[in-house]
Amino acid sequence: MEEALLRLKSEAEADLASLNSTQGIEPFRVKYLGRKSEFSSLMRSLGEVSPEDRPRLGQLANAVKQEIEKKFILKKEQIEEGADDAGGIPETDLSLPGRYVPFGKLHPVTQIMEEICSIFEGMGFGVAEGPDVETDFYNFEALNIPPHHPARDMHDTFYVNDSILLRTHTSPMQARIMENQEPPLRMIAPGKVYRCDSDITHTPMFHQVEGFLVDKKVSFSDLRGVLGVFIARMFDEETAIRARPSFFPFTEPSAEIDIACVMCRGKGCRVCKHTGWLEILGAGMIDPEVFKMVGYDPEEYSGFAFGLGVERIAMLKYGINDIRLYYENDLRFLSQF
Amino acid sequence: MKFTYNWLKQYVDLTMPAGELSDRLTMAGLEVEAVEEIFHDLDKVKVAEILSVSKHPNADRLTLCEVKVGGDVFRVVCGAPNARAGLFTAIALPGAFLKGEMKIKKGKIRGEKSEGMLCSERDLGISEEHAGIMELDWLTESGMDLAEALDLKDTFIEVDLTPNRPDCTSVIGIAREAAAFSGAALKTPLDGKSLPEMNTSDVQFSVDVLDADCPRYAARLLKNVTLAPSPWWLKRYLLAVGLRPINNVVDITNFVMMEYGQPLHAFDYSKLAGGKIIVRKANEGERMGTLDGTERTLDTDMLMICDAEKPVAVAGVMGGGNSEVSDSTTEVLLESACFDPVSIRRTARKLNMGTDSSYRFERGVDPQLAPKALARAVELLVELAGAEEVPGGIDYADGVTLPEAINLRVSRTNNILGFVFTAEEIKAMLTSIELSVVQIDEDTLEVTPASFRIDLEREVDLIEEVARLKGYNEFPQTMPVVPMSTAENDNMRILRHDISRIMTSSGYNEAINYSFVSPKHFDMLGLSADDPLRNSVTLLNPLGEDLSIMRTTLLPGLLDNVRHNINRQSPDILLFEIGKGFHPLPDADQPEEKLYLTAVISGRRNPGTVELHYGAEKSDILDVKGVLSRLINELGLEDISFDLAPQDVKPYCEKGVSFCLVSPSGTAGECGKMNPRVLKEFGIKQDVYYLDCDLDILLKQKLARKKFTPLPKYPSVKWDIAVLVPDAVRAGEIVDAVNSAGEPLIERAELFDVYRGDSIKEGFKSVAVTVTYRSPDQTLEDEIVGKVHKKITDMILTGFHGQLREE
Repeated sequence: MEEALLRLKSEAEADLASLNSTQGIEPFRVKYLGRKSEFSSLMRSLGEVSPEDRPRLGQLANAVKQEIEKKFILKKEQIEEGADDAGGIPETDLSLPGRYVPFGKLHPVTQIMEEICSIFEGMGFGVAEGPDVETDFYNFEALNIPPHHPARDMHDTFYVNDSILLRTHTSPMQARIMENQEPPLRMIAPGKVYRCDSDITHTPMFHQVEGFLVDKKVSFSDLRGVLGVFIARMFDEETAIRARPSFFPFTEPSAEIDIACVMCRGKGCRVCKHTGWLEILGAGMIDPEVFKMVGYDPEEYSGFAFGLGVERIAMLKYGINDIRLYYENDLRFLSQF
Repeated sequence: MKFTYNWLKQYVDLTMPAGELSDRLTMAGLEVEAVEEIFHDLDKVKVAEILSVSKHPNADRLTLCEVKVGGDVFRVVCGAPNARAGLFTAIALPGAFLKGEMKIKKGKIRGEKSEGMLCSERDLGISEEHAGIMELDWLTESGMDLAEALDLKDTFIEVDLTPNRPDCTSVIGIAREAAAFSGAALKTPLDGKSLPEMNTSDVQFSVDVLDADCPRYAARLLKNVTLAPSPWWLKRYLLAVGLRPINNVVDITNFVMMEYGQPLHAFDYSKLAGGKIIVRKANEGERMGTLDGTERTLDTDMLMICDAEKPVAVAGVMGGGNSEVSDSTTEVLLESACFDPVSIRRTARKLNMGTDSSYRFERGVDPQLAPKALARAVELLVELAGAEEVPGGIDYADGVTLPEAINLRVSRTNNILGFVFTAEEIKAMLTSIELSVVQIDEDTLEVTPASFRIDLEREVDLIEEVARLKGYNEFPQTMPVVPMSTAENDNMRILRHDISRIMTSSGYNEAINYSFVSPKHFDMLGLSADDPLRNSVTLLNPLGEDLSIMRTTLLPGLLDNVRHNINRQSPDILLFEIGKGFHPLPDADQPEEKLYLTAVISGRRNPGTVELHYGAEKSDILDVKGVLSRLINELGLEDISFDLAPQDVKPYCEKGVSFCLVSPSGTAGECGKMNPRVLKEFGIKQDVYYLDCDLDILLKQKLARKKFTPLPKYPSVKWDIAVLVPDAVRAGEIVDAVNSAGEPLIERAELFDVYRGDSIKEGFKSVAVTVTYRSPDQTLEDEIVGKVHKKITDMILTGFHGQLREE
């Protein structure tokens, strides 16, 4: 028994000495330390030796086993470390690309429109959408643009018949909503609009977001405040803003809002036609005539409205230089945003 | 509105640079669209005197000119017919750049030396005149810079006028604004002069205004008029703003129109029958030839200027050829009138003729301007056309209403603007733009606008003027104080967001196409003549046939996108669009606008991924089905299911490769493989699969509520079944049969293999299903599972005519 233990020990040490690859580790463990190893059967036969020899042989067996185990673990660690150091060929080529299926992208116009909506929703505005095929009444007359008003020249209108047209702006939603609801009102209306105009700077369909707020004692300064917040969020806090007088039949006073050119920071460049400013939206105090059309008392209520072009803002934010790209749906374009 | 800075300075002393002027105008609400220095680059263009002209030896049409330019004499080859000795003209010397593009060089023309080029007005960009070289017959000395001699250097300014400022359709109107913000005084040509007495008894012509659309009509007669070209100074102004000089009489009417904003018309008095002017509506079907040489048919809405017999002008729009001034004209009747804006606009629209005159009348001309502009034009005709003014004239002004006083409340002004102005401040501001202001009480000012501000009619118009004069950017930025409220949920908007999220996370890019499409799409899709999709809204004035109807389906737009991308080397395509289709309704003016989700898939299954990992396999119908399944699962549309054997397959689908989404409220959508014949029509040569859903139907569906199920306590076991079934059997139906067998221990069944091939006998396929068994209250023993499994297996074998696979 003792002999067998010592032989096993020297055999194991010899095997261990010649063990030099990761492939040899597991067979060695099975051979000397596994449940079916010679060593295990020796341990099991301990019961058969005489009682007086049993403690001594038991101790010896344990000592041998512990020593082989200790040396094995040491050797195993050496081999595993050695394999790393030796720079052997790893199983995975980490330079290969990772696996992932790309997301698709929302159209840049949708992205900007959602960004606009979420800024105003954050200020408590509700969102409503209306018909693209609109009546002359809501598109023009309810907005204080009677037939034969020169302001109709500002809208190159697609007609379906005398009284039905493709909306030229999202402003009809002002009248549609006010007709059915009482102030206080805070709404925005995003959507497609149409003008029969197609050249390098115009597409016959584009997107606008109309917004308005009506309550008692709403002022022009409030309009400036709300649009100031919007522009700071949409662009950045440092973006300079200026308002200048303009004309829309459905607002009075009317204003165009410019921001400092995002390309040149107001120094003057091709994009801002060397003025340092970019026109970003039209706005104004809702005209009393519009209130009268929807049955509000203009002495009691006041409010402001604004309308902004989504494509224009997307062009400025993303640096898109050709408006025609928007509706070709070229994947090389869509996947950029 | 176009003008030049030098022209503007005739009426107001401005010293600020043109750039600053533009900024100030823009901030006053007159948006400057263009500022352009003109004729600043004519350095090497000089005044030349032709000393002698001789024939070019080698060319019949060319001459050799000896020209004097100051102290130098040059030889120039010239092709102009009017080159003659003694003529003062323009020469471009070597080094000159004409119109920024043509560089003049010394050279030989047909063998003869030429040291420059004698120029026409067109050569120099002054006008379109190119009949010959310039004739500067009022000059007496050569050598000067041409730009200096002709006073060409100037700054062109164009203002994009809004319709509410008709008073600024004139150089004086702009000058009045500039005077207000610069503090300089406005000076007009009639300052200090009195207007002639009108409506005297001895007038030899008559004016009868028979229609209320003409509130004012002033006219005077001039004799001994000599038609001739206008002097250079006048031509120069007209040319700079794009008006073509014609003769002194016409040019003067145009000049005064630009100067004052009052359109004028000159009639040849000898051609006016009876020496009469009658202002009336046209008779139905009456005809007249206008100055542009077009015969016009008139109707009873159109206001006409007539003589005793016939119409001689379309009021406020264009004169008639029958009374036009010509070389033989010696007596001119000059009209200065005011017409109703709507009437003029309607007429100009109907006749499809917008003129400088109609542009002004449509917006509204100050009714008090007519006699002033008339006086100014007469003054110029006397000065420049040798005319003799016949004393007196007619000034019909019965239709003129004076501007009414408007009450302006200080409190209202402050409420609307969110500012605190005093009555005195408001009064001072409004007075600065020639409004008369009287304070009635503490809160009320009575404001009477000047007649040229016809846009000021209401209190709010004055409030805008206060804001404008203060400067919009002087107002604070405040936040409105409104009651807190929350908007109602817009479920369609939420559904669209959810769908967009699911589609983009499935790799689809969003497309946006025009709402108007080509009517040809219906035939291209192979729709039958009575297909409801053909029922569409047609535009009266489309940009072209290809954009002439409102779409009823989003599919053609996306197919166009597929072709576009394939042609640009992007053949692997996943695109979706959420948009409206427009369907006419029988009893409504407006069509029904329905939202659709439409998607197309073509090319590689996973575009944008590494082929090394994901392979180059092409997508197929199951990719589309997969995305639909994902939509159903993610949106929780538990009542929606697939109908794999739809009754009416769409004509644009390939047979047997399409199916429908059905719901309790009707067909919710469809998907399929596009018919190759249709794809060919759209110019596509590779397979395309599509899906098309009706969002209104999806929105109506009951949504699965999110609800917690306790996690299982006991493990599941998986047993497989492999059977041979006839080819015609749909494997999915086997799985459905297992899942719906009603066995409580079956958790789910899944296909894991469908195989046809060598080892399988002809006409059959192998279908392998994994069944997951689980009990809620014990760990399952093989014996219990075995019993159920046997039952299920037998059910499949009998139900689908199968046999066990021998292995």
